[in-house]
Amino acid sequence: MEYVAQQVMNALSFGAEYALLALGLAIVFSIMGLVNFAHGEIIAVGGYTMVAMAALALNNPLIVIGAAVLAAVLASVTLERVAFRPVRYADPTTGLLTAFGVSIVLQNLFLLLVSPRPIAVTSIYFLEWPIDLGGIRISSLQLFEALATVIVIVLMMLFLKRTVLGLAMRAAALDFEMVRLTGIRANRVFAAAFMISGLLAGIACVFIMARRGSVDPHMGFDPVLKAFVACVVGGFGSLPGAVLGGFLLGAIEVAILVILPQSLGGMTDALVFGIIALLLIWRPDGILTPRSEKGDKR
Amino acid sequence: MTLSRSQRRGLVGAAMLAALLVAIGVATTYFGSRYQLRIVYGAYVNLMAVLALQVFMGNARITNLSHSAFMGIGAYAAAICVTPVAMKKISLPSAPWGLNAFELDPFTSALVALLITGAIAFLVGLFIVRLSGIGATIVSLAVLVIVHSLFLYRTDIFKGNQAFFGIPQVFTLTSAVVLSVLMVFVVRGFRESRWGIALRASADDEVGAASMAVDFHRLRLIAWVLSCSLLAVAGIAYAYFLGTISARPFYFNHVFLTLAMLILGGMRTVTGAVLGTFLISFGLEWVRWLETGPEVFGIDLPEVLGLSGVALGAVIVLTMALRPGGIMGNREIEEFALGR
Repeated sequence: MEYVAQQVMNALSFGAEYALLALGLAIVFSIMGLVNFAHGEIIAVGGYTMVAMAALALNNPLIVIGAAVLAAVLASVTLERVAFRPVRYADPTTGLLTAFGVSIVLQNLFLLLVSPRPIAVTSIYFLEWPIDLGGIRISSLQLFEALATVIVIVLMMLFLKRTVLGLAMRAAALDFEMVRLTGIRANRVFAAAFMISGLLAGIACVFIMARRGSVDPHMGFDPVLKAFVACVVGGFGSLPGAVLGGFLLGAIEVAILVILPQSLGGMTDALVFGIIALLLIWRPDGILTPRSEKGDKR
Repeated sequence: MTLSRSQRRGLVGAAMLAALLVAIGVATTYFGSRYQLRIVYGAYVNLMAVLALQVFMGNARITNLSHSAFMGIGAYAAAICVTPVAMKKISLPSAPWGLNAFELDPFTSALVALLITGAIAFLVGLFIVRLSGIGATIVSLAVLVIVHSLFLYRTDIFKGNQAFFGIPQVFTLTSAVVLSVLMVFVVRGFRESRWGIALRASADDEVGAASMAVDFHRLRLIAWVLSCSLLAVAGIAYAYFLGTISARPFYFNHVFLTLAMLILGGMRTVTGAVLGTFLISFGLEWVRWLETGPEVFGIDLPEVLGLSGVALGAVIVLTMALRPGGIMGNREIEEFALGR
């Protein structure tokens, strides 16, 4: 029983992390058709901010977490202004390659300016302690992660459904020209999308850092690749799809970790992607993409 | 068989590029130092990879990020076949399925490697071509990761990050030049063929092309398999010259190096692929020199590792922002000689 509960928690916390990141990717994609490869570097920015905080001898956990999330938001908004504005209305391939280039530049800047080696961050280890829940021991970090994700998703839904900017963002995903005609500023919509995306990456960053305890230039790559795959499975650009894809991926990954013998540990990702590939045969456009004919104006 | 106008022009263009490639090769053979020879050889191998990449990316206009993995599959497959048994007993003592108990001549090994890569490419392609553009790119990235983790995991076959050594060094710069000249003709030929034109049309307008009875899934699959097989050729050329391979050169760094080359030159044209490869190959040598912290005009510059990565990323970002079609855009080399 305890073993099962622990594995379920594992699946939920993995899934929560992927869902957070996938949502951040999906909200940007739904609005400007940009596949943001630089998302992983936003996570790394958060991680390096924690290092900087430690260097400044600021060890109050709230300040450390707040600074990391803030840095991620700022980095995301800055990238939009500096790098992605010129390709705003370009086709998806151009945007994708730009983001790919930005990701390479940032990774190498971390390498060049900070260090190619991992740097330890110990200030948020306090998030992890065992909790006794009705006789079942689970990790507090996993509980926080699942809870934070649920809260974030609810808040985001409220924002998208109840505010003018949220409405504009949902409309922008369908027909951007129309949104601009109603007098909403395009710049604000894009900035908001990147802000939310950065915020989600910042929150994910806190949990990732609490789990791995160190930061290196390539730390964002693995989680973001998973988040991309989650987006593809759920249907690229669909927000519910991103969440569904994230949790599905988490569940598949934990299932494989449980079933697979230790000796095959290196092959987990390969198997996860293999299963995803089979899912994509069934629904090539992702699970939650509405069936549509090519050429339909959506 | 009569050739269309664009096909005749394609022959002229390919011949012009071939002359250029031969000229650079001859100049290096006669005037280059040993070190320069290796650099230029590397450039030719990358050229083959970029040309191969152009077949799929340029015609189907779907970004492929798994190309280095297919180069690796070709290189390893050929290496396992061609390495002498005596050598394999040392380097792969516990290889399964009797992989260390046979050896083939270099030509047969290359053929076997091509067949294996082609077969794997076909299976992967069945997934890739059905996905929409963005999905295909992400899945190709996942393919890269899967193949790389296989190389790292099966150390008994691939030796992972350690060097797989003892491959007979049967290639010289001349072989690489000859192969890349042939490849220029193949790639340009595909671009101007029935299939190439239909595929480019479907990339411009999927619905329009489909209404003209273009089966673009099938065409993409053809381009994908051709592209991956040519990538295997590049991988084999890499292995046959250096004599040692490892998993590292077939991963990310190589992916974005070759991608930057193709993007800078312009992925829609074969001329762009050639131009981008040589610009970046030689530009990068200069950046690498800066990276080591040289003394310029009496100023001692600091050592800056990672500068070449920043430069490559910046090339991609700037090209996309300023000239999304790359330097060549839609123009091939013969248009400078023959007019439009």
